[in-house]
Amino acid sequence: MRHTLAIYRRLLGIQLRSQLQYRAAFLLEVLTSIIINGLFFISLALVLQRFESLGGWGLGEIAFLYGMVDSAFATMDMIFSGFDPGYFGRHIRLGTFDQLLLRPVNLTLQVLGSSFVMRRLGRLLQGIAIFALALTMLEIRWTLLKVLFLPWVLMGMIAFFGGLFIIGATITFWTIESIEVVNIFTYGGSEMISYPMHIYPGWLRSFFTYIVPAIFLNYYPALYILDRPDPLGLPVWAPLMGPVVGFGMLGLALIFWRIGVRHYQSTGT
Amino acid sequence: MRLTWELMKRSFQRHLTYRAAALAGLVTNLFFGLLRAAVIVAYYGARNEMSGVSLQGAITYTGLTQALIAYLTIWSWYPIMDSVASGEISSDLLKPLDYFTFWLSQDIGRALAAVIMRGLPLILVYALAFDITFPATPIQWLALILGLILSLLVSFSWRFVVNLAAFWTPNARGIGRFAYGLTWVLSGFFLPLRFHPDWFVRLAELTPFPAMVNTVVEIYLGVLSGPELVSALLTQLMWAAILILLGQLVLRAGVRRLVIQGG
Repeated sequence: MRHTLAIYRRLLGIQLRSQLQYRAAFLLEVLTSIIINGLFFISLALVLQRFESLGGWGLGEIAFLYGMVDSAFATMDMIFSGFDPGYFGRHIRLGTFDQLLLRPVNLTLQVLGSSFVMRRLGRLLQGIAIFALALTMLEIRWTLLKVLFLPWVLMGMIAFFGGLFIIGATITFWTIESIEVVNIFTYGGSEMISYPMHIYPGWLRSFFTYIVPAIFLNYYPALYILDRPDPLGLPVWAPLMGPVVGFGMLGLALIFWRIGVRHYQSTGT
Repeated sequence: MRLTWELMKRSFQRHLTYRAAALAGLVTNLFFGLLRAAVIVAYYGARNEMSGVSLQGAITYTGLTQALIAYLTIWSWYPIMDSVASGEISSDLLKPLDYFTFWLSQDIGRALAAVIMRGLPLILVYALAFDITFPATPIQWLALILGLILSLLVSFSWRFVVNLAAFWTPNARGIGRFAYGLTWVLSGFFLPLRFHPDWFVRLAELTPFPAMVNTVVEIYLGVLSGPELVSALLTQLMWAAILILLGQLVLRAGVRRLVIQGG
């Protein structure tokens, strides 16, 4: 275990060093990401002001949801860069994945260490800023339990979307090309849970409650932390489901990944 | 002229063959459209109108903008950058055809295929799922077609200039991400520009982005009429002219600097 961790650290070190070689380019990329993502939020805030509320929620509450998702997704996008279906699919197409299979090191770890896109730092910083803004706009009654719960909510989301990345990557074992439909779940899912889920039509909400239970990741924990009543009438322990769903998804994804690796046939290039 | 026509036709036919990719793209665009429609409905709440746009119009807006994604490919289009990286550009530049026209004619072919495979089907599904609006008068239809042609021209000229960054730096993708990323919000794609305060709209209008999406949307929804409509089309024309000219200047400066690796 210690050996494995040491190797992961080494792989990360290589990634960091190589990306920091072009320092100006790196800083520009981070800045770009902050500006672009910042523009989205500014636009949303300005329009929300005109409409006054979104499904009964004000800017503070929306910023809370938005900041949580953005921070979690950006962190996930860094840690799981190696499984990003677009990136991973290229390995499969070019046959470079075979190289990883030959090395006497844990395969999952090698894929994790094969990429670490640091420019996502921009979106992470921006997510944290929006979350901080939410905290100043809202008067949250913090309790010890809420403070302890918050990191689990974030980790749950990281695990959930990381799992989706792994599933998307695994699918490319069969399809070779990375498939665009996966974006519905990753980017679509993260956009969807940036808004209070009660605004969606029933069928869409049911889908994201019972089939892909993304409603528990962000919305229910937010209801609990912001002391909002649950308009959908789920049991009181629903907020606790967030981390469970997240890590459950990651677990399932890893099982699927194992199956995929076992069935992998090289493209022969 | 014949050469341009051939290039356009070939590109059109080539893009028509990517059927599986088009279907996947269509499904994705539709899903995001539904999501955006739900958010718009929630914004409106009990309201029926905002800045001259009815709720029905706003829902239509989400479908129309989703349908424009493939037509304009405003968020990821890097073939010129790729041709610099692969060295293919050396033979492209030798072709007995203006370099801008070479790419424009192929892009028109691509855009037409996108209208058929992604744009129209998406509007069709939208028309079945929602009570969407359509342009009412022949003048509006005519203006819409003009607006669509001009928006492609503006968008293409912008993408052309952005791609030329590869003549200067191997890290041009980063520049592309910035240049394309601005389009999301400033073109009025993310939310209709007229929902924003005046200062924000005026700021956006200093850029070519509203001429890519917002103008088409406003023509379609019929919020522009008479002199406003004419001036919107003329603004698009102005941006097309500015960007084409800019493209020529940048190209001329860039070709002198271009270092072709390998190939």
